[in-house]
Amino acid sequence: MTQQASSASRGLAAVFAPLRSSGLAEQVVERIEQAVETGLLVSGQRLPSEVELAAALGVSPVTAREALSSLRARGLITTTRGRNGGSFVAEDFLPSIKGAHEQLRTLTRLQINDLGLHYSIVTVACAGIAARRADATELAILRTYLRPAQDTLLSWRLVDSEFLLELAAIARSARLGRELVRLQADLGTLTLLPYTDEAFREASVGMRTAVADAIEARDTALAETTTKELVHALIHWLLDEHSR
Amino acid sequence: MAAEQIEVPAPVRQVQSLIAGIEGTLEKWAQDLGRDLSGMRGIVPGAAIDGLVQPAVKGLLAKDSPELAGAGFIANSGLVGPDRSYIAWWQGPQLERVDALANFSPSSMERYLKAEWFRIPVESGIPHATGPYIDFLCTDDYVVTFTHPVRREGSVEVAGIVGTDVAVRTLEQNLIRGLRQLGPAVSLVSAEGRVVVSSALSLEPGDLIALDDAGLSYPVGRRFSIVSATED
Repeated sequence: MTQQASSASRGLAAVFAPLRSSGLAEQVVERIEQAVETGLLVSGQRLPSEVELAAALGVSPVTAREALSSLRARGLITTTRGRNGGSFVAEDFLPSIKGAHEQLRTLTRLQINDLGLHYSIVTVACAGIAARRADATELAILRTYLRPAQDTLLSWRLVDSEFLLELAAIARSARLGRELVRLQADLGTLTLLPYTDEAFREASVGMRTAVADAIEARDTALAETTTKELVHALIHWLLDEHSR
Repeated sequence: MAAEQIEVPAPVRQVQSLIAGIEGTLEKWAQDLGRDLSGMRGIVPGAAIDGLVQPAVKGLLAKDSPELAGAGFIANSGLVGPDRSYIAWWQGPQLERVDALANFSPSSMERYLKAEWFRIPVESGIPHATGPYIDFLCTDDYVVTFTHPVRREGSVEVAGIVGTDVAVRTLEQNLIRGLRQLGPAVSLVSAEGRVVVSSALSLEPGDLIALDDAGLSYPVGRRFSIVSATED
């Protein structure tokens, strides 16, 4: 009985694992960071007041204040007093290459490889289904993410993640899509680093083009292989950097 | 002509009335909201929009047949300010507010113009249905989004859109039995030929089929049809 219970309960162990105690304020911080990273909020713009922010996100003003002060402490927003005062997104908000390097240092090769494997499995699966389901409109959207309109680090990183998200959108699997969103959150700012390398930037355009071409040709196997190459290039760059 | 018309089978009428019901609900809501907005001159503050939209959303999401995943209003440029949009959209039984940070974004219009469910009704002035697609902006779920333009009384300009998301799984729960009664390979498809629900095991929601090969074909709502076809 105990034998059976323990062998059957590997999944249950996860159920009883302690919950991540990321507080509400921390979630608000994450949302705002994400909004700036994706260009929804921009450097220098005024942020809503505590009260407005609280109302918009459905949290208490105390939580909103806590989130804003945490962002302030990390230098992500600045606050000025007076008639035209308020909180503003810092001019040099993100991307923080330093922070990304720090994140890379905290990981082991094993963790990077494992993350890469997971990332590859999910994106390759999406690409394979996308080759079957893409229509002309979707292909046109996918091709807007080959190369960013602006040559900034943030824009390069954005096309990197948006291109893969678009593959998930075309594939139309809610589970794979959610998994990809979660994985990209786990990767955090790491994906910024390869795009500091001009050779990688250009190579990535070629690799994304190869994926888009394979999907347009409705070639499932080729879409899978080219997507695998794209993700592997990113992970190999990180492993290379990690070993320096 | 009328005498030659083949009688529409009951399962088809059931599908038609479910979809038409959603479209009719949106049409009425768009009229009501247009009238309410007419009472407000010039620039309308976001809080006033919330006050008009949220009670309506609450009512809609409380209905259980079919269950709606979310609903709301998105302003066209000009209503809350030049070149700005405003989103008042809630989802789920807890009425969770969606995408609220976008209301502070200088690029909110651009954000929504990228989305078919906003762009088409705003630009064409006619109601639209988008999908099935994965809604990464709101529900992260597989949905069909119905949207309807809103105009202030006596105005031709589109002030914004009202819309609602219906999960594809909800449509399957409500419609699969009827489709099976019609035949082993009968599908509800979008105007683009994309399967929403099908009685054929080989067809999943999202698959494309060639509409030309279709045998039977009945219009469903404004943008869907029931067809019998198997291959893409």
